[in-house]
Amino acid sequence: MSSIPHDHATGHAEEPPHAHDDHAHGPHGGIMRWVTTTNHKDIGTLYLCFSLIMFFVGGIMALTIRAELFEPGLQIVHPEFFNSMTTLHGLIMIFGAIMPAAVGFANWMIPMLIGAPDMAFARMNNWSFWLLPPAVILLGVSFFVPGGAAAGGWTLYPPLSTQAGMGMDLTIFAIHIMGASSIMGSINIITTILNLRAPGMTLMKMPLFCWTWLITAYLLVAVMPVLAGAVTMLLTDRHFGTTFFNAAGGGDPVLFQHVFWFFGHPEVYILILPAFGIISSIIPTFARKPLFGYASMVYAVAGIAILSFIVWAHHMFTVGMPAAGLLFFMYATMLIAVPTGVKVFNWLATMWKGEMTFEAPMLFAIGFLFLFTLGGFTGLVLAITPVDIQLQDTYYVVAHFHYVMVAGSLFAFFGGTYYWIPKWTGTMYDERLGKLHFWGSMIFFNITFFPMHFLGLAGMPRRIPDYAQQFADWNMVASIGALGFGLSQLIFLYAVIKCIRGDGAKAPAKPWDGGDTLEWTLPSPPPYHTFETPPVIR
Amino acid sequence: MSTHAESSDAAAARRRSANLRTALILLSIALVFFFGIIASKLIGDPTASLGVIGAAVLLYLVVAIGRNLRK
Repeated sequence: MSSIPHDHATGHAEEPPHAHDDHAHGPHGGIMRWVTTTNHKDIGTLYLCFSLIMFFVGGIMALTIRAELFEPGLQIVHPEFFNSMTTLHGLIMIFGAIMPAAVGFANWMIPMLIGAPDMAFARMNNWSFWLLPPAVILLGVSFFVPGGAAAGGWTLYPPLSTQAGMGMDLTIFAIHIMGASSIMGSINIITTILNLRAPGMTLMKMPLFCWTWLITAYLLVAVMPVLAGAVTMLLTDRHFGTTFFNAAGGGDPVLFQHVFWFFGHPEVYILILPAFGIISSIIPTFARKPLFGYASMVYAVAGIAILSFIVWAHHMFTVGMPAAGLLFFMYATMLIAVPTGVKVFNWLATMWKGEMTFEAPMLFAIGFLFLFTLGGFTGLVLAITPVDIQLQDTYYVVAHFHYVMVAGSLFAFFGGTYYWIPKWTGTMYDERLGKLHFWGSMIFFNITFFPMHFLGLAGMPRRIPDYAQQFADWNMVASIGALGFGLSQLIFLYAVIKCIRGDGAKAPAKPWDGGDTLEWTLPSPPPYHTFETPPVIR
Repeated sequence: MSTHAESSDAAAARRRSANLRTALILLSIALVFFFGIIASKLIGDPTASLGVIGAAVLLYLVVAIGRNLRK
């Protein structure tokens, strides 16, 4: 195992051919730099900082949930507030933390990876970001309106959502705003990748991170409007006398579930595909080998995206469906394991006989590989209709999606941050802190979420503030693990702040000797404007 | 020198119009999905409408990615 290979940075990388000498206009000073910026690096930074703040807000909500569940009985919060916590924790983590983090990575890295000077629509990029804070403020304000915040779960199923108080209206508006932001961001990313690639950078030469984001952006353009349509119908049901989802007026609440999951299942892949892209950048670098099976990886991502549109009803096996429907959705769901397996085996094959070193980004990538695969396996278990009918709405489902979302997306984003933060800030992160963060996260994540499999198999339902005595022991273990996992994230915060303040070794242009993509040809940190003259790719 | 400037201006204008074209196509798709899902519920035949939307999505993904593959 080697330490970080500073000394492998080449003279070529230290004096890069494509760097701009930064004599042109730079950023505004002070707060106006961040309000008015159209620079992709600044906007990437804004997205990443915003998502980090939201990660801690959502994390505090998670700790509130776990504190209440530490032992049976009602101790800390009222049941209504507990339900609001589970609802807002889900919404904030998905729309406030994971998605903006992925967009932050896209903003920072895509132009640098394809040799573009900036995003295609720089002003729209600024607008996409600045829509997010008002949306989150609406969610926050909803706690203080009559009836409190939305409490029907992040899925907003009617009739709970059609009967809830004003907090639901604010949540619906917040979703509209976040959806508009996502669609604008996606249009920007697709246009940038399709139209602004450097000469010679064909689609099949792009780094896989760009491919995963291209496909994710297409998914977003297709499904965010569907969610917007669903919550608009919810809004008209609540205030304008329509009965889309009201059985009393001839509507059908189950219809909402169909529409919601037509958005919701692709959304899972929207959250995980950029993570696949980051992992596909990290593993070849630290295995010092090219990515195994690049073309098959691209087709696997496209395959996963296409399949994600035809599996939505596996989230609702218990609503009552014809047997043919149950069988179709069961087999279609299982089919997703094939392209996902292609990716996992390709990552393993990339590592096979590589000259691997285990710095923090690689540790998180390997942690991702283990735990995401475990989450994938429990997904296969849940795909089996009769099993799912038993496990529907139990803690087994909670365990499954946290293995996919936390150990999947979040671990990849941690790895990606350690991988690229030397480039972003010009300062090497503290490797000791990075490894401490990894082991803390890895151990406490499993202490938190692995017991939830047992709880679910034993029949403990999700979204309840109180539970039977028989579930007490594993709940206590999970709550202790959650506290440890939360504290471990403070190490990450400290490591990131150290880098931003420049407290650490100066990063060379190419801190990882296995890195061979365009961003490593730029100095660390890169100049404010890069690739104004596009590089030529051979 | 001025010829070079003109040609780079022309290239920038071409790129801007290509960007705008791509964005408008994507925006129109988003609008079709938004209004389409509401219209399909108003019409009241979820099987047909979801089938049509699903097929459109598949076709769109295949065509949109496929036609750019060799560029």
